[in-house]
Amino acid sequence: MTAYLVAVGIVALIYMLLTIGLNLQYGYTGLINFGVVAFFAIGAYTSALLALHGWWLVPAFGVATVVAAIVAYPIGLLSLRLSDEYLAVVTLGFSEVVRIAIQQEEWLTKGVQGLPGIPRMFAFMGVGGDADVAILAVLVACNVAVIGLMLHLVRSPYGRLIQAIRDDEVAVEAMGKDPRRLKVQVFMLGAGLAGLAGAFYAHFITYLSPDQFLPLVTFYVWIAMIIGGTGRTTGAVAGSLLLLVFLEGSRFARDWVPGVSEVQMASVRLALVGLGLVLFTLYRPQGLMGSRR
Amino acid sequence: MSTRITRRDVLLAGAGLAATSMLPRLAFAQDAGTFRVGTLCPITGAGSPYGSGMQKSIEAVVAEVNAAGGAGGRKLELFSEDGQTKPDAAVLAAKKLIEVNKVQAIFGTWSSGVTLAVMPLTDAAGIIEMNCSGAPVISTQDTKDLVWRFQATNDRFGQAFAVIAEKRGYKRPATMAFNNASGIGNAEGFTKAWTKKGGKVVASVVYEPNRASYRTELQQVLSQKPDVIVTGSYLPDSTIILREWYQTGQPVQWIMPGWAANPDLVKAVGNEVIEGLISVDSVSNENAASFKAYSAAYQKATGKPGSTNVYAAMTWDMVMCLALAMEAAGPGASVVQVNAKIRDIANPDGTKVYTFAEGRKLLGEKKKINYEGASSRLDFDQYGDVTPDFGVFVVEKGQLVRRDVISI
Amino acid sequence: MTITPVDVVNLLINGSIDGLLIALPTLALTLVMGIARFPNAATGDYMTVSAYAGIGVQALGGASILLAGLGAVAAGAAISIVFYLWVFRALRGRAPVASLVASIGVAFFARSMLTLFVGHDQHTFSVPLVRAWNFGGIRVLPTDLYVAAVALLVMLLLFAMLHMTPIGRQMRALADNPDLARACGIRSGRVLLALWATVGALCALGGMMFGIKAVVSPELGWELLIPAFAAMIVGGIGSPIGAVAGAVLLGIASELSVPFVGPSYKIAVAFALLLLVLLLRPRGLFGKPIVAR
Repeated sequence: MTAYLVAVGIVALIYMLLTIGLNLQYGYTGLINFGVVAFFAIGAYTSALLALHGWWLVPAFGVATVVAAIVAYPIGLLSLRLSDEYLAVVTLGFSEVVRIAIQQEEWLTKGVQGLPGIPRMFAFMGVGGDADVAILAVLVACNVAVIGLMLHLVRSPYGRLIQAIRDDEVAVEAMGKDPRRLKVQVFMLGAGLAGLAGAFYAHFITYLSPDQFLPLVTFYVWIAMIIGGTGRTTGAVAGSLLLLVFLEGSRFARDWVPGVSEVQMASVRLALVGLGLVLFTLYRPQGLMGSRR
Repeated sequence: MSTRITRRDVLLAGAGLAATSMLPRLAFAQDAGTFRVGTLCPITGAGSPYGSGMQKSIEAVVAEVNAAGGAGGRKLELFSEDGQTKPDAAVLAAKKLIEVNKVQAIFGTWSSGVTLAVMPLTDAAGIIEMNCSGAPVISTQDTKDLVWRFQATNDRFGQAFAVIAEKRGYKRPATMAFNNASGIGNAEGFTKAWTKKGGKVVASVVYEPNRASYRTELQQVLSQKPDVIVTGSYLPDSTIILREWYQTGQPVQWIMPGWAANPDLVKAVGNEVIEGLISVDSVSNENAASFKAYSAAYQKATGKPGSTNVYAAMTWDMVMCLALAMEAAGPGASVVQVNAKIRDIANPDGTKVYTFAEGRKLLGEKKKINYEGASSRLDFDQYGDVTPDFGVFVVEKGQLVRRDVISI
Repeated sequence: MTITPVDVVNLLINGSIDGLLIALPTLALTLVMGIARFPNAATGDYMTVSAYAGIGVQALGGASILLAGLGAVAAGAAISIVFYLWVFRALRGRAPVASLVASIGVAFFARSMLTLFVGHDQHTFSVPLVRAWNFGGIRVLPTDLYVAAVALLVMLLLFAMLHMTPIGRQMRALADNPDLARACGIRSGRVLLALWATVGALCALGGMMFGIKAVVSPELGWELLIPAFAAMIVGGIGSPIGAVAGAVLLGIASELSVPFVGPSYKIAVAFALLLLVLLLRPRGLFGKPIVAR
């Protein structure tokens, strides 16, 4: 059982990185990014391809993070020109274009055949068991570091500025500050986190294919952020954990509800996610950790 | 009107959920008397048309084996999860099956992505994996010989298509491939085999899933005036393509894989459209008792004939092979010992058997058996891949009639 | 591949039909955006559920497509009103993102209820298959003409309702200026009920048309969401004419691009066009200038 929980924990922490990144972009700065999965994919494929060409994992992870952040730069620039709903659709479109490009450019990514045999983290420790615990530990450390960074950021003048951008951009300009540079930076930072999460993902699942990077992943991250409480880093933490409890907990729920077939369980799982979203939006919009503003 | 759900309420609920799911359950208790089998069929996702049928097929065989008193002195215990046709979901499901349920085999992975993601886990745990995936790379990744593939590789299917097209005298083939590993694998397998014999493929098109219409792709292919179109396709897209093709009025022969061109497709497009279409599937002999037994059980469990779900026939065979291997290995055999017997009971040399009862009886007499499966002859090569013959089924008046058998 | 004029005409025809199919859900989206002011992600699943209702009617009540269509419209209007009353009405004062997230929840919930009771199988409408008319290589499918005719008729009816009936005028007033509309005594409750019923009907007809042309499956509507969103934005948010124009334009542009980029990059082309429109004419083709918020 512990080994299973460790695996679930690993996935939860990967989602936590994604959620913290989105929370930085939307929760703190008000940038509606519906293209999270694009940077996740870019980070995953970059690290996987480098590792398959013999790179060591740590530098591969680093490059993956940086590449994701760099790709976010033009999108960040776009966010300056576009208002909310438009940015949502454009970022969504961007993530689909990235997925299609990964799918079609098989000379680079092996396309739909996918990339099997990606090197594992801590491969010298074998598969599963101890290696997974080590991966979990690294992820915990990573998340703790990122959370610390976020909390520090929020209290800093920089952090107050980006929250001011979310609340009233015109006022920020009136104060003589240039919100544009900040928005792009925030976008890139969030994307970099998504790229890092992608690298962890690639080396844990060890097989990548384009259809693992559908917009549904972005929606899950949004769900985690909202349920946890938008605009709060602790919310991102709580939300990603709760998301995984939802998604994985339903496996065990079947044991309590006899007579429900696996087929039906899949529908029930989706129904619970949908219902959860609706109920949270209606009755607890501030999420788990938020307070009514 | 708004009910205040406090933070505490939700946290308590979440903690409760997590805690109770960790409670030791009687069902997980180590029962030395059973062999635990995990299933990871694609109940949801792209494989969902086949997944629940695959699962029900497994359940039926397990029930049959257990009713006969088990295999090798042990009953089979089943733990089922949904692979969701997604590698990451499947990895967590596989971990749960391996770590929590302590399964000794995982059956039913369908998409190549899921199999490739799950294989390292089953290999590390030293347990048997049986799949219906087509990607060739699975053979080479199977380093411990614990992975058994019940579906002909995409390459082999493509070769079969080429042999069939050549045998029937076609000279100007075109391919249409669903944009995934299997579809493209089939089409490329065909092209490789066809061009090797010096032929030329006049048009090939890859099309995207979930579209309302494939007119443009179809027109692109038809404009080159092929006499036969070979597809790597699935049921929904085949439905759309055939209907749109029929409405163009341009005569063309279609060759499609059996998982797409099945009775459901006949029902969806109607007899007139599908008349003469060639459906290719790996076969043993559908008049054989193994297929009959499978089809009867499948009909009972799902209300549809067994021929509508080739993968369910494969999962039927998976459990059969395991049960017979367990019998051959004897009581108390380890997973590795059972695994070693799989070729013994399925490969040639030996009396052909078609049911568990037959096989067990002969094994009890220390005779060698050769289980001929519902899905194919089940002769495993050195990679653990089946090397089936292929049946050429022609749709005549709404029925799939086998007209030929191809060996490659 | 050499492109002949005949090919171009065929591509134009294909693109227009694809566009007209998308036009119906785009209309549904744009009405909600214009009047209720949020992107409704449940539009797709309203289509799916209604299409299944149509299949059900045809299975029970004989072969009449018309009857199936009526059944679908009834189902669509019903489901749309139910979710309005339960979810969206309560969210009216809140930020659009809240309603967007809730609509994602509604989408998941509706789809899961459908698959729970009806299963995951595909279904087809039994429509007579007729040979295409062939004008020297230019192919026109009678089914397509039928689909196009229905779509255009629906649009005409919609325009008629919006411009010639009292309830339609009230809807437009509510879209233009909610406060003024209320000040003039327009009871928004009634108008919104009519709106959502209309939205449901549009989705139902879109789902039926799609089901007739292709197959009915649980993912039918969800897959159409992204193209519909793109079309809505290109055409101009809140403009029904824009919805149709945007959908047809994107459909044609995607098809015409196939000889150059191949069928897989089709939607990338649609997004590129979307981006271009947004950068050059942010309000879309027929939208009103963005009001300062």
